[in-house]
Amino acid sequence: MSTGAREFQVPEQVYLSLAGLGAAAKRGLGDPALAELVMVRASQLNHCAFCLDMHLTAARKGGESQERLDLVAAWEEAGDAFTGRERAALALTEAVTVLTDGFVPDEVYGRAAEHFTEAQLAHLIAAIAVINSWNRLMVTRRTAPGETEWHS
Amino acid sequence: MTTNENKNYAPEHTPRLQWAKAAPEVYKAMIKLNAAAEQGLDPTIAELVKIRASQLNHCALCLDMHTKDALAAGETVERIIQLNAWEESQHFYTEKELAALELTEAITVLTEGFVPDEVYEKAAEHFEEAELAHLIAAITVINAWNRFGVTTRGVPGHYTPGMYK
Repeated sequence: MSTGAREFQVPEQVYLSLAGLGAAAKRGLGDPALAELVMVRASQLNHCAFCLDMHLTAARKGGESQERLDLVAAWEEAGDAFTGRERAALALTEAVTVLTDGFVPDEVYGRAAEHFTEAQLAHLIAAIAVINSWNRLMVTRRTAPGETEWHS
Repeated sequence: MTTNENKNYAPEHTPRLQWAKAAPEVYKAMIKLNAAAEQGLDPTIAELVKIRASQLNHCALCLDMHTKDALAAGETVERIIQLNAWEESQHFYTEKELAALELTEAITVLTEGFVPDEVYEKAAEHFEEAELAHLIAAITVINAWNRFGVTTRGVPGHYTPGMYK
């Protein structure tokens, strides 16, 4: 593949609406550290380099440990590095991200429903949908990690 | 409307969560995002893209909505039926529609790879830059709706075109 960003710009109203949607999702979830773990894991699954750079940086700035960030790609085998609530959210992130292989299994949804209220769960699903949206825009555009003027 | 009147069909499932009620500001933001994405995009192509992404993501609620919307807008039954195998029924579609469908698949199935140069370039040949940007946004947004619909097990069969307008 060629390198470098492709020509199109994300339309300003799309960018602003998606940013607004993301802010609403995070506000309703009320757990910024968990939101960053979800953003990192979805961006790994969707191979979004720009998004990984952005959310790993944000997570570290927010006080997340490097050790947990190193392990989030293998959270299921990471012992007690992640809480039951985080594991439920990460399992849901994977199921909601990889839709083309199947549905969202009852046990995955049910475990998330044990750890989150209905309102939190609706916002968690929204956060997963939002990072999947950014992943799609940035992968399609081939936005480079660290590129800051991409929406100008 | 019910799909199983007088027939021996399986019972209808119930949704897991009424997400639009549980997160009303998220729902409002999705409506706004949806309108922004589709600005200036050919409505016929927009519906084909939404149906194809919903097939790939297995969103029954979204298929119910977008096949009915497409039919109401004058789309043919044949073109809707053939969408699931469009690579082998290319003479049902324009070159521009085919480029949009190919791009839809690449952007929807991100977990298996990236968006190949030839797929992107073919779309860029058929769509001028602003419309291409909105096409990509529309593919992204139907993927988001699909995620809400599948995760919360939205129930198909109750949609009537225009009911949310």
